[in-house]
Amino acid sequence: MIERYIETFNKFRDPLFKALIETADMMLFSMAAALILGLLLGFVLFITGAGGIYKNRSIYFMTSGFINITRSIPFILFIIVMIPVNRMILGTGFGVDASKIPLSLIGISLFARFTEQDLLDVNKNIHETSYALGASTLQYFSHFLLQEARSGLILSFTSTTVSLLSYSTVMGIIGGGGLGYLAISEGYYNFNYELMWIIILLMILIVHGLQTAGNTIAEKFDKR
Amino acid sequence: MIGFDLSRKLSLAGDVLIRLEKVSKEFFIGGEKTRVIDGIDLHVDRKEIFGLVGETGSGKSTILRMMNGYIEPDEGSIYLMGMVLDSDSRYELVKETSMIFQGFNLLGNLNVIENVLLPTKLRKGVRKENVERARELLSFVGLSEFEKSNIRNLSGGQKQRVAIARTLITKPRIIFCDEPTSALDENMSYEVLKLLKDINERFETTLVIVSHDIGVIKSVCSRVAIIENGKISDLISLTPKGVAPVSYKEAFLSD
Repeated sequence: MIERYIETFNKFRDPLFKALIETADMMLFSMAAALILGLLLGFVLFITGAGGIYKNRSIYFMTSGFINITRSIPFILFIIVMIPVNRMILGTGFGVDASKIPLSLIGISLFARFTEQDLLDVNKNIHETSYALGASTLQYFSHFLLQEARSGLILSFTSTTVSLLSYSTVMGIIGGGGLGYLAISEGYYNFNYELMWIIILLMILIVHGLQTAGNTIAEKFDKR
Repeated sequence: MIGFDLSRKLSLAGDVLIRLEKVSKEFFIGGEKTRVIDGIDLHVDRKEIFGLVGETGSGKSTILRMMNGYIEPDEGSIYLMGMVLDSDSRYELVKETSMIFQGFNLLGNLNVIENVLLPTKLRKGVRKENVERARELLSFVGLSEFEKSNIRNLSGGQKQRVAIARTLITKPRIIFCDEPTSALDENMSYEVLKLLKDINERFETTLVIVSHDIGVIKSVCSRVAIIENGKISDLISLTPKGVAPVSYKEAFLSD
């Protein structure tokens, strides 16, 4: 039985490798977008929300609304809804590059909400402390909030990454390819269950690796 | 921006370091507008240890936070080292002061010396000189051997001493102390109060101490304002009785 799996693996080595690259391509792009823009939006939520230093109902409402909308639309429908947007930005609605747009948006939304929560978990006195020690507002963000929230943020980013990997598997419907799509199209629909299981195992290993790395880094940075 | 001008002006400031004139503040408490501070006039002189006592909710902590510019008064004016404290000047003026807190407010992700160095990082000073000074201060507060320790491994008293070293690194003219000993037991409180008294004598730093503990105020303060319902009910000059260690036994037998 093992031989059949090895045989399948060898036979599909090239498509597997290609799918892995496609997944990595989509993932890295959307992870970067989530990290930068998600963190930024998370800060916006935190400082404009109740108890924030620039409390502003309408900005909070709009940011929060955007995040809730992207997260509440069933993801497959969200991908379809986004096709015209992809077309507007990239000139094409389909393919790996077009897949990066909805994937990035969901990543940004997830990580923004996580970031808000991590910042809320930091001691409430920290703004006053930063002010009393002579920090500017920017230094309050960098030297105090980020410093104290860092291990939570690392874990949140790990969760975001794992979610993105699972979202990336349905990108096949707009030609995004990737591992998940190969498992569904070549594996499940073509009755090639060996290939399907190989990919499932591969994805379990990837997720496990990501989570272990995230936990290790977070622990290393947590001295509290 | 106003840095050079500021230090010249501050050196010309008189003997009154902090002045509050008819200061009032309202907060929304439970949806209702409440006058927390009601027309307070107050001054703190150079080198003095000034106490603010009162019940929880009397407004004493709010007064402290208005003195360093964290909270802006609704009415009245505050002068710090001879300059008007307002939204423009506060970020510069607060750098001439520092603060210690009831809950110590150290950063858990930084070790002891990193915490002490934090204010200098915010001011972008020369690192080497600052590290030397941080080491001197850690030995002054008796924590030399804890330089690289994580904060979570320290006792409450040790944490407050780190916080004190952190305030001293920038050579502040004023140190605001918000319930500095409330989270500490008798012996640790004694250590911290003795340290504050030493700082006042050695560095001629002006101290403003908020406390609900009359013993704390009596042992170190030269003047004290009693705050009731947002007003100063009494202003008393004291001869500080000095800081002395008390065992539980002594404390019970002395009355």
